Amino acid sequence: MHALKKNRPLRRIVLASAATVSGMVLLLSLKPHSTPDVGLAVPAPSSSSSSDTSGGSGGSATTVSKTVTGDTIQTRWGPVQVKITIKSGKLTEVTAVQYPTDNPRDQEINSFALPRLRSEALQAQSADIDTVSGATYTSDGYRQSLQSALDSARG
Amino acid sequence: MTTTLAGGRAARRQTMRRIRPRRSPATVLLLAVWAGAVAVLWLWWHNTPSIADQNGKILNAGRITGLLAGYLMALVVLQMARVPALERRVGSDRVARWHAMSGRYTLCLVFAHIFLIMWGYALQAGKSLGDIVQQTIDSINQLPDMGKAAIGTGLFVLIGLTSIGPVRRRIPYDTWYHVHLLTYGAVFLTFWHQITTGNDFAVEPTAKTFWYVLYGSVTALVLWYRILTPIRLNMRHRMRVEAVIEETPGIVSVLIGGRKLHRMGAEAGQFFRWRFLAPGMRFSSHPYSLSAAPRPDMLRITVKAIGDHSARLRELTPGTKVWAEGPYGAMTAQRRSRGKVLLVAGGVGITPMRALFETLPGASGDITLLYRANTTQDLALWDELAAIADDRGARLMYAVNSPDGERPDISAERLRQKLPDIEQHDVFMCGPAGFAQGVYEALRGAGVPARRIHHESFEM
Repeated sequence: MHALKKNRPLRRIVLASAATVSGMVLLLSLKPHSTPDVGLAVPAPSSSSSSDTSGGSGGSATTVSKTVTGDTIQTRWGPVQVKITIKSGKLTEVTAVQYPTDNPRDQEINSFALPRLRSEALQAQSADIDTVSGATYTSDGYRQSLQSALDSARG
Repeated sequence: MTTTLAGGRAARRQTMRRIRPRRSPATVLLLAVWAGAVAVLWLWWHNTPSIADQNGKILNAGRITGLLAGYLMALVVLQMARVPALERRVGSDRVARWHAMSGRYTLCLVFAHIFLIMWGYALQAGKSLGDIVQQTIDSINQLPDMGKAAIGTGLFVLIGLTSIGPVRRRIPYDTWYHVHLLTYGAVFLTFWHQITTGNDFAVEPTAKTFWYVLYGSVTALVLWYRILTPIRLNMRHRMRVEAVIEETPGIVSVLIGGRKLHRMGAEAGQFFRWRFLAPGMRFSSHPYSLSAAPRPDMLRITVKAIGDHSARLRELTPGTKVWAEGPYGAMTAQRRSRGKVLLVAGGVGITPMRALFETLPGASGDITLLYRANTTQDLALWDELAAIADDRGARLMYAVNSPDGERPDISAERLRQKLPDIEQHDVFMCGPAGFAQGVYEALRGAGVPARRIHHESFEM
């Protein structure tokens, strides 16, 4: 634009704001709104005799029990990592091994979010769990760590 | 020497061979800026798997505005780093306008970012929008580097307030300028929270590296071109005031001597930012154009006493040390794309035009200067201009108000009448904003394409 062309500051402000806001709304609405379906079927109890895989407690040859620790996921507030126990192909326990505790707000969030994430996971038998409102980052980390644990349990 | 020998077709061809217009790199630079913005948005896109709910939307909008603000902030500082490619090829005035525009936009993004993130956090903690102030205080107390960011934001508010039109006009230029220098502190203070709390930087080490490189290179450019380059320039050339000459009432020329001044690389049409190391003038520097082509031992500026600073120039004593930064400005012979040139000067805007009038290559009749002033007494440097015109066969015209104060007619018709082939000219123009605007419209009306009207505003 030539510097001496009539410029209309008001029009420019309106255009810039409108373009920014609509661009942002577009970006936000293009993102999937539910959590991506990471659908996972925990493998049926195989006939294999394998029991323990990764550093968990040993299982006898008859009770097929696995303890798998998931990846450590870095979230904005700190690392999140879960450990799962699978008995006879069923997800029976999820424990958070690492979760953010740096500041008072973390502790507040974790006290309500972690139990809910655990029960959701046990119910869903997968990592397809909802985000706990108010704990978006921890939920994300939890979900990813859980998914990785389930993946390696299956693999 | 007879000028007729220099005229003619052969000479014109000779001239044209020397004319190689350099296009301003503005378009390329703007494309690069947009590409960077897309990269920043992609970073967000890549790191955000999904948005769960309303709260997620608010937080993500906050993150997008934050990322863009962080990116643009680096560019806003870069625009003022006095990088030669920007100052000499895009033009200082244009870059200053970009800076003002993007600065305002960036501050708006910063405020939107703070509001959206704090709102999102409040919702996350099960509170409502009404608790946003408390949430902000908590976040400043609890999150890493947020204290610094809060101080930096406070500085941004101050800088923004002093730059709003009516406020800016009411405070002295020096106050405004020194407040503006706080930007460096504010940018430094707000940088760290981006790295430590920014989601995209926590999960993506490459993004962190990219951010460090961006801010690091801007810092390096600022240090190099705003500090080291001027120090070297002034150590080498050691400039001092030689003489102060009154040209017309209210307009003075300052002659500045020094060592090997032709090595400064200044061209006719350019300016320096001058700082005179005299009492009361030490702490402010002002842009004044060279009013004659630089000589190895002498530079000259011509200044109208409009402000405090320019009024004090007449009291300068010979021997006063001079600190200069430059040369800056893109309105040089390099902009020219045609053999014929019309120079238009309004008032003291004559200074760069005077230098160009003398030095622009051209055959007899190729160069025309139109000089607008209030009265014939206000036509500073007129005798010199007449001598140059005479010497090189250039045309010199002036337009002053009639005795009853009526403004001269500078319209499309009148311009065409004076210069029938006006659309074949490159036009260089310097003068007050209103005057330049009027002439611009007249020139466009007379058929001169916008790309051949070269203008630099000296009211920055």
